[in-house]
Order: sequence, then C-alpha cells, then structure tokens
Amino acid sequence: MEHLSASVHRRPVVYITRRTDSVKYTDFELTTMTPDHDHIRPDGGIDTLDPPPIDVLNEETLEPETLAENAPRLETVVELLNRPALARVYVYVCYWGPVAPPEVMDTLDLSKSTTYEYVDRLVDLGLVDRDDSTRPQQLTAEPIIIIEQYVPIVITPTVLHALALQEVDEDVEYFVDRYGLGKLIAALRGAGLHFAGKTTQRMVASDIDVRETEAMMIIYALKPALAVGREHDPFFEYLFPDVHTEMDLPDLDDIADAPAQSSDPDR
Amino acid sequence: MGRDTPLTAEQDVLVDANIFYAIGRPSNPQYQRFRRAIQHAGVVCKLPRRVIGELGGPETDRVRTALDEGWAEIIDAPSPTDGDAVAASDIARRTIANETDQAEHEVEKTDAILAGLAIQYLRDRSTTGVVVLTDDQPARKGIENAVRAQGYTDAITVYGLADIIGDDPGDSMRLI
Repeated sequence: MEHLSASVHRRPVVYITRRTDSVKYTDFELTTMTPDHDHIRPDGGIDTLDPPPIDVLNEETLEPETLAENAPRLETVVELLNRPALARVYVYVCYWGPVAPPEVMDTLDLSKSTTYEYVDRLVDLGLVDRDDSTRPQQLTAEPIIIIEQYVPIVITPTVLHALALQEVDEDVEYFVDRYGLGKLIAALRGAGLHFAGKTTQRMVASDIDVRETEAMMIIYALKPALAVGREHDPFFEYLFPDVHTEMDLPDLDDIADAPAQSSDPDR
Repeated sequence: MGRDTPLTAEQDVLVDANIFYAIGRPSNPQYQRFRRAIQHAGVVCKLPRRVIGELGGPETDRVRTALDEGWAEIIDAPSPTDGDAVAASDIARRTIANETDQAEHEVEKTDAILAGLAIQYLRDRSTTGVVVLTDDQPARKGIENAVRAQGYTDAITVYGLADIIGDDPGDSMRLI
C-alpha cells in the first residue's frame, strides 16, 4: 500500500465521494477488488457485501457549499463517461502527451474543428493543460482516478481507454450498445484476469452474463486498453491489484505507434 | 509469411471458438496469417458444435467467413462416452479449477469437454493424429494435462495461436 499511496499523492485525484475526507486509500481494501463470482450482478456491477456505513455522509459533506464545490468534478466524470470521443482525446493526450493539436488530429483521424472543440472542452474541464508559450501549443493531461469504494466503481485512464475504443472498434461499440458501460468495465476486469491466466473466457462469459462468443470477442477487443494501461496508467493496479504484473499481452516496444516510455515519469 | 506451421494435412484439427476471436476480424492481418497457415497446411478447422456456442451477433462474421471459404467446418463431435474420454474431461476440469483458483463446479462445462471430445474423436476414427487448437491459457493447460494423464501425447497435440502463426508482431492492434 505504501507504494500505491505514494504514487497517488503526486497526482491530482478526482473524487465523486467526499472531498473533505478525501483520501480514502487508507480504507481502500484490496480485497474488495478480488474477483468474487457470486457478487457480480447482471449489469456488470459488483454487489457490496455490506451497505455503506451511514456516516459516509454527514452534515459537513452534505453542505451545499461543499456539494457546489464538488459539482464540476461530478460533471467532468459524467461528461467523460457519456462522450467516448472526448474521452478518447483525453486518453490520447494523457498517454501520448505532450502532443500538439495537429498530432491529435492526425492520429485520431479527427477534423480540425472537432479536435479544437474537444481540446477546448477538456481544457475547460481542467483535464488537459495547454501550454501556449510554444508553437505549436503543447497539450498534456494528468491521469485521473475515481474510486467509489462502496459500489465499487473504479475509473482510471485504462477504463476511459476501454470505453473510448468504441469510437474505433466495432466490437467494443457493439458490446457497449448492447450491454452498457458498467458491463464493459466488468468485461475489462474479466479480460485482465483472463490474460493473467486466472479465468477462462467462458467463465468470464458466465460471470458477466453474456454469450460465450461475445465474451471472447470483447476480451480480445479490450487488449489495447490493457496493453497500454499496464505500461502507462499509474493507477492500473487499482483495477488489477491482484494480477497487474501477470498479464500476457503484446509488448509495446514492438508496436510502432505506442506512447514513448518517457511520457510516464513513474517508470 | 513463409513460416512453417506444425500442422500437416494428415491431422484432424479441432479448433476452439476463441481462436476465431484471437485472430480478429477478416480484415485483420492476424486473421489473414491464420487463414494462410491453415490453407498452406491443407487442413480444415473442425469446430465442434459443442464448443462454438451460440452465434448471433456481429461476432459471427469471423466464423462465417471461414466456413464460406471452406477452411473451417462445424462438426457434430460425439459427446465423450469412452472411459478415457470421460476421464479426460474430468482431469481438464480439475486442472482448470486449480489454475484459476475456482471451485470445480465453477468451471464451464465447455472448457473441460474439448479434452474428452478430442480423445473420443481419435477413438471413433482411425486418424493418425488430432491437433487441438485453443487460445485460452487455463483451458489449454487443462487439455494438455488430460491428454498427458490419459497417455495420448503421441496422438493428440495441443497448440495455441502463436504456435501456428508466431507471436503477434503488434501490427494487428490499433492502440487508440
């Protein structure tokens, strides 16, 4: 845990839970993230073993002022989750940055106006930093992590990458259309466990309640998010505390357009 | 490209459904490499109906293309009834449970049955050899263990996708 909290404090963290008592990492138990085949719901969520303690919310956290301060964070999350095309630009800048807008445009195959619209929005949301002192301007983005331990919900760049893939991968698009985002995250977790040898593809199908061939299809379709995430997402081990070093995935060194290693100061 | 595959035309190649998802869509270079390897070896991928599962959505095109092009066929492999074959499925199930830290009843039946199907297939037909192809690591270990335990290593070989077309050079993967 020491290592985890160390890497967290150096980075901005977005919460949808309390701000005042923001660092929940002391309570964050890795055991809550281990696969529990009896508690995965059909929608891909995982049932909590116990209801959240009532003191999770109190007068202080429910102060209108606090809620208002937290509002932009909540809206940021909602917007990223609902706009995979926007999430895709965020993930690209986060992993490949610093990058200039023309690179974003070319690599992601976006029009100039769309690129600037997305970049402006991400800057407004505080997710992307734009350095205007250079020509062309340079964009960078800090990785974000959102954890709601009681549901649980965990959103990291890897998760955003997975949902952004629906913009370019018909298999991911089909899966999200049919089953929704929650189940895509469940499939991502299942795919990670599978590539670590901890589950068969058919077990994933039955765990998340999709057809066997659909599970097989989505497990392979999510490979890019896992392969890039384990190298460049500093919060990868929050999603895979048990298996983050064990996955058998293609080596990014062999892939020409992979992000440069230097873009991740932690490794 | 001119890579040698371990497959020969005398063997019956039983293929698990996951192979068709590991190679991606027909437009993917991996898919094309696999098709070339299969056609070059002069074999037809036999997909037991039991392991192909219910096909319905857009995931069907990969299998459909192979069937239409004649390098894959769906077969009705008989359920394991032979003693060795039944025992093989049990061993596969135990191995998979062990590999994945799951209770045996959590192991999907279909994951375990391929080992039994392969032995039954071999016993029913006097073929020179059977190859089982699967890209699922825990499932593969289950089959390998069962084949070894039942003494069929000379007649049944288990391969993964990389054994047929080499490691994925990464050119088939779009990162973002």
